Amino acid sequence: MKRITIVVAALVLAAAAFAAWGTAAPGGKVAALAGPTAAPKKPAKPKLPALPSDVKKRKKWLIGVKCDFAPFGFIDVRGNNDGYDVQVARRFATLAFGSKKKVDFTCVTTPSRIPTLMSRRVDIIVSTLTWTQARSEQIDFSIPYYSATGRLLVPNSSAVRIGSLGGKTIVTTRGAIYATWTSNCFKNSTLLQVDSPALAVAAVKDGRADTFMFDDAFLLGVATQDRDLRLTGDKFLNVPWGIGIRKGDTATARWVNAALRYMKKKDEFVKILKANAPARLVGDFLDNVPRPKNNFAYPVGKDVASICP
Amino acid sequence: MTLVASFDWNFIWEHIPDFWTGLKATLKVAAIGIGGSLAIGIVLGAARAHRIPVLNWVAAVYVEVIRNTPILVQIFFIAGGLTQIPGHPIRLEPFTIAWLSVMIWGGAYNTENFRAGFEAVPWRYREAGLALGFSRIATFANVTLPIGARIALPSSINTYVSVLKNTSLLTAIGFAELTDTAYSLESQSFKPSEVYLALGATYLLVVWTLSALVRLVERRLAIPEAR
Amino acid sequence: MPDWADPVAHYMLHQGLSATLRIAAYAVVGSTVIGVLLGTLLTIRFRPLQALIRLYVEVWRGLPILVTIFLVYFALPTAPVIHHRFGAIAGAAIGLILWGSAQVAEATRGAVQSIPTEQHEAAAALGFGWIGRHKSVILPQALRRLLPPLVSLLANIIQNTTIASLIGVTELLATGQRSIERLQLTPPGDSHAFAIYAALLAAFFCISFPLTRLAIYLERRLVSL
Repeated sequence: MKRITIVVAALVLAAAAFAAWGTAAPGGKVAALAGPTAAPKKPAKPKLPALPSDVKKRKKWLIGVKCDFAPFGFIDVRGNNDGYDVQVARRFATLAFGSKKKVDFTCVTTPSRIPTLMSRRVDIIVSTLTWTQARSEQIDFSIPYYSATGRLLVPNSSAVRIGSLGGKTIVTTRGAIYATWTSNCFKNSTLLQVDSPALAVAAVKDGRADTFMFDDAFLLGVATQDRDLRLTGDKFLNVPWGIGIRKGDTATARWVNAALRYMKKKDEFVKILKANAPARLVGDFLDNVPRPKNNFAYPVGKDVASICP
Repeated sequence: MTLVASFDWNFIWEHIPDFWTGLKATLKVAAIGIGGSLAIGIVLGAARAHRIPVLNWVAAVYVEVIRNTPILVQIFFIAGGLTQIPGHPIRLEPFTIAWLSVMIWGGAYNTENFRAGFEAVPWRYREAGLALGFSRIATFANVTLPIGARIALPSSINTYVSVLKNTSLLTAIGFAELTDTAYSLESQSFKPSEVYLALGATYLLVVWTLSALVRLVERRLAIPEAR
Repeated sequence: MPDWADPVAHYMLHQGLSATLRIAAYAVVGSTVIGVLLGTLLTIRFRPLQALIRLYVEVWRGLPILVTIFLVYFALPTAPVIHHRFGAIAGAAIGLILWGSAQVAEATRGAVQSIPTEQHEAAAALGFGWIGRHKSVILPQALRRLLPPLVSLLANIIQNTTIASLIGVTELLATGQRSIERLQLTPPGDSHAFAIYAALLAAFFCISFPLTRLAIYLERRLVSL
């Protein structure tokens, strides 16, 4: 009996120690550690509207970002968040609090990002969020901060094109605009939905799907990297991305939009793009970022996901 | 109270066909997984109980590896790891991955269930069978199997229910079973309470029905002297 | 170790394993406390209470853990009564606690009922009330019988923490997957998926195997006592 008591005590102690260690461990929260920053330090602070009161009180942003979507939101070799979206979020921390560390990141997936925002776990989501009519009824969008185009990734030997998708299996990420578009417009195709873009690439490589329909920036990176895969010439669903904000959270919307307008005026998005896209691909994407003379608009009133080619 | 008021019954009603499609896939995979794990359990359980050389050790390693690793990692290993074996990639159909992974998992647990069941069959029963002139295989088929399988029934039923529940993890590789269908539906409709309460109710209905059914069978099959 | 493996191992052990153990620790402590309490209450002969606890046990044992975690993480926050926002780690831990406590409650009921009635009567004769009787006499004895299933539960919970990766927790499995993705998308583009998934299986085996052996050992000791 005594020995058993000792075993119990040891187990409880071990559990408690793990719990305490976990809470104290730096790895528990994705800390905003050193990472390449694209945005230069501006000596003069821009005039921005007042921060939302809870963000101001907390003295840092809580932002949902992708962790599986290079080069927008991913985990770098040292285990830190990085990418285009992450650096936009870090720029918000600098603009709000003067330090790029004043932000805690939460990893979100395509299907979990809107629920994560709506349940108040984060202040905003900067997570490759394409504007759609259905989403804009659930949450508010900031002004656009990127514009993506849909492309098809296929094996080199494949003859699949946008016009010949009947009977084929199309893979994309769950909750992506391409999933809705496929179920609306390609009723003769099979739709396979997975939780991360990498799993979708694997599905094409392993023959479980004929093509991966997705954002150009991600696919171009894959196609240049992988000698067995290529992009078809088709381009579709050119719709800008916005930052997701809870419905009616006007204070946050006002601040975020002012910050984005400021970054656009200073042409900061190009610098962030250059810091994240491979040098030889930057040229292809210069038109995808907001610039002083490069404006985007959401297709408000049009349900793009049900307009078929 | 607003939860009740804003609950959209119509939405669930409209999407019953989607749930039904997903449920059919779940039941199909579960049926193959349960059948397969029954076969694995009998064969490897017998090998363990009768100490058949080589097969006994292979079965022991199989059981320990599967029972001490998460099934979700096993699923990813089969779906994404085997395809990347340097030199000899193994590529499987999604449906094959689905039933194979739940079957391998259930088979390991069932091997243990049946081993315990067969070992609980009194030695004198088998001696009697052999004395009657039955061969070793015939003794197993006519004596050890019917009695041992009944002893193993309660624990193997738990394994079958777990196999059914584990099919939900196939969501992770995008296999369109019940949970995957619901998850995709939610990601486009943004109605988490409707979708997941309906999903939970469907699982409880299936799991409780399955449990009740097998309990019925169990009662009919129970060993008379244990009654 | 090859060049690619060093940062991967570092990331998986520092971030992934620590999150895995953290969720497991919350889940084990929570499941044990709630489960022992509910299991003890289940032995009281008061029908409405028994029915209520039975329902709790049957629901959370009947649902796949993934579905429970989806309910907790995605559906629960839409209920207006929930004002507190909890993160993905807490969501996963709560889901595991609901499942684990149902298992423990069932095991506790069995353990408490296996204590002979004479023990209850003797304790009552000594002047103990219901709470004192259970705290000082019945539960310490029942706990001995409960120990093997609790150790098995710990092994099971550690394995099931991987489900947290599906709601975005960067636990051990997720850190492995993020590493595979990073390796696949950066030159030379080899994902090493086979090696990383195999390492994940090995890591979980090393944690779980000693625990399941310990459970078997404790079970045998119990029988021989």
